[in-house]
Amino acid sequence: MNGTSEKKVILQLRKLKKNFPIKRGVLLRALNDVSFSIYEGEKFGVVGESGCGKSTLGRVILQLYKQTSGSCVYYGKSFEDINPAYVKKEIAKLPEYQKKAGEYYNKSVKIDLKISELENQKASFDADGNSKDAKKQDKISKKIDLLSYRSKELKKNASRQLREGSRTVGSLILCRNIKEIQTLFQQSYAHTTKVHNLLEEMKKADANYQESIVESGTPKTETSRKKSVALKAKLTQLEENAAKSREKARELRAKAFVHRNTDILAITELTHQQEYRAKLDNNYESGINLSKLTNREMRPIRKEMQMIFQDPAASLDPRQSIGSAIEEVFKINSEYSRDVRREKTMELLEKVGLKREYYYSFPHVLSGGQKQRVGIARAIALNTNFVVLDEAVSALDVSVQAQVLQLLQDLSDEYHLTYFFITHDLGVVKHFCDRILVMYLGNTCELGNSKDLFSTPLHPYTKSLLASVPRPTVHRDREMDEVLQGEVPSATNPPKGCPFHTRCTSCMEVCQSVRPTYTEALPNHFVACHLFPNQGENNHEV
Amino acid sequence: MAKVLEVNHLVATFAIAKKEYQVLRDLSFYVDRGETLCIVGESGCGKSVTTLAVMDLLPNNGRIVSGSIKLNDTELVGMSKKERAGYRGSHMGMVFQEPMTALNPLLTIGQQLTESIILHRKVNKKEAYDIAIEYMKKVGMSNPEERMKQYPFQLSGGLRQRVLIAMVVSVNPELLIADEPTTALDVTIQKQVLQIIHKLKKEMDAGVLFITHDLGVVAEIADRVIVLYSGKKVEEGRVTDIFDHPRHPYTIGLLNAVPNVDLDTFEIKPIPGTFPSLTDDIKGCRFNPRCVFATERCRSEVPGETIVGDGHVAACFKVEEEENERNK
Repeated sequence: MNGTSEKKVILQLRKLKKNFPIKRGVLLRALNDVSFSIYEGEKFGVVGESGCGKSTLGRVILQLYKQTSGSCVYYGKSFEDINPAYVKKEIAKLPEYQKKAGEYYNKSVKIDLKISELENQKASFDADGNSKDAKKQDKISKKIDLLSYRSKELKKNASRQLREGSRTVGSLILCRNIKEIQTLFQQSYAHTTKVHNLLEEMKKADANYQESIVESGTPKTETSRKKSVALKAKLTQLEENAAKSREKARELRAKAFVHRNTDILAITELTHQQEYRAKLDNNYESGINLSKLTNREMRPIRKEMQMIFQDPAASLDPRQSIGSAIEEVFKINSEYSRDVRREKTMELLEKVGLKREYYYSFPHVLSGGQKQRVGIARAIALNTNFVVLDEAVSALDVSVQAQVLQLLQDLSDEYHLTYFFITHDLGVVKHFCDRILVMYLGNTCELGNSKDLFSTPLHPYTKSLLASVPRPTVHRDREMDEVLQGEVPSATNPPKGCPFHTRCTSCMEVCQSVRPTYTEALPNHFVACHLFPNQGENNHEV
Repeated sequence: MAKVLEVNHLVATFAIAKKEYQVLRDLSFYVDRGETLCIVGESGCGKSVTTLAVMDLLPNNGRIVSGSIKLNDTELVGMSKKERAGYRGSHMGMVFQEPMTALNPLLTIGQQLTESIILHRKVNKKEAYDIAIEYMKKVGMSNPEERMKQYPFQLSGGLRQRVLIAMVVSVNPELLIADEPTTALDVTIQKQVLQIIHKLKKEMDAGVLFITHDLGVVAEIADRVIVLYSGKKVEEGRVTDIFDHPRHPYTIGLLNAVPNVDLDTFEIKPIPGTFPSLTDDIKGCRFNPRCVFATERCRSEVPGETIVGDGHVAACFKVEEEENERNK
């Protein structure tokens, strides 16, 4: 677990936002610009008080809630596996993005001109100071405020358009010959689609082939053997075709990227800056943007991304036997025959430490810990990659909690699972998770390796959170140390500036007005706090 | 120190499907004035039943079979319902786990607070209001006058729990029973509430019977601790005894199972097996199916209590043997 750069990112969140409308004009800001990456095979912990958005985050990742803005990119599958429709649409929209960005920017430039004109006017009034002029001056400055707001919004819109475009092509969105690039990408993607179709066909062919072997074993008749050989040949043929198409797709994409950094349009004032272009390049998504998938496309991914809930009793139907509850997963997602399904279910039960006999039992027979094991069995039944555990051990007693943690640990070792572990128990995350994210009121406060986070907490909130954890050791000094005062503010009306400033003991003036940026204060240790000013390079904010 | 509450050889049963099962098996303990006694154990061990028995709030299928419960030397078992009701509320108060279910959503905080004060302290409305405000301040509520007009849903979980505590302590009880009062709260709020309970106990010089499953909370608040397993007291002692020199295998297992934030390394060491159900018939020590040290004797005989130190008692044959060895 050393050197995060070598590890493969499985999920990347960028500026994820989620607002829940409560009533007209009132929004509950559950998530505010959350950005981080989760690496493959890692146990990623999220802690915070209730209402900090940790459960919302888990659900948004699984697309159980649709995000308001931002992206959630999954790298566990490729375009070839899913062939999502949104990519085609996005490619088709490329010139439009470019055009719109230009339009917005031009408008804002015009407004800027007007503003400078007005400012000149205002300055001319400054010379003499009678009351009539003062009124006029007031009027003008109000107008300037309004116009500068508009120009700002337009500029924001312009960069938003470019950002959207850059998701599919990176900084190529700035090139003059966007049409050409578009066609190249379209051709490339057509090949990808072809690969996808071929892969689908291969799956079927493979199934047929396997069947033909099983049927005949050692082929008895000449015809059945011939059939088997023919199927095998077809399979290899398909494979070759797929490889060819894949190669072509790659070539075409590479051809498009030749245009990078050449012949760049001056869409906004930033376009000629190397850093800005790097930023756009960074936006390029080679994974699948989960928020843009249709429900149908999401299904194969759902197989890989599962969830385990807090209350195991609530996630089981009291009238459905344990066996059929687990078997349902196979019934829906696979084509196994009934006997195979039952065998698989029983194997799973054994794997999570339950007896095979429980196949026939009903949930009320099981204790809380055992019910949670059933929940775990359901989550790992398919080829799961990524599991969201929403307070999965919080409702269990300590002795059982340790058992379930042990089981989760063993399973992750065996299947190389990635966990997204949501909890409020700092003791559990410390010893179970590799990296920990601390959240407060929908904002990320601190992210670091669990060791670093606990030995050198940077954010004042993390510190006070650590201080208030009840520890199972008796301190002789009973006069309890300082406690965090006050309560979590409402998310419908979050405090200005740093969300934590209302309770923070080291609150400064700047905290009340400016939101701190999320920076890498120490290697692999990110924090959003004014005590740790942005140190120039900031690669996490894109 | 005077004993506020004394429970001796208490046996309580629950009737399930016309059969009676023991929930509390010969439980004895006491709470001193100005002391916090924590009862700790896993769910189903009888912690809450103990408090319900003391408050005479057992459900209809439960009853006290034998034993005595004394509050300030007054025997409570065998009292008539009416007499008992006089004790409940005025001499002992209880704070429950879920503050929302304990408060009436249709009445304002003020109405609910003053009601019990008028009833138990025999004062008029105006005086009751003043007392209520005083106690609201004591539990650390900001602008109490405003809060008195609000309804429970307008308060956060932490504030609701404070209201409940204010409600209970405003009648000056001699015994405060708190049944998992902080389990539903966040850690930062939990700490605040624990401090309030600690402060009030000192001020009122009352005894506190604190129920929890969280060993961290126990270490923070308790003076003495009882570890309960399946209705039986397995270990009792001062908080330092229990945490620094635990003797019973169950207590040791429980302490090892808690992930400690302060430790750098932690090996997950669960207690094997599952907690026995009320209806399970286990011969001998109730812990023997999960105990790694279980012997033939543990499976047939119920261990008695072995005194291992000043006020430190453990009910285990292994501890008994160790003590015998030491005394030789």
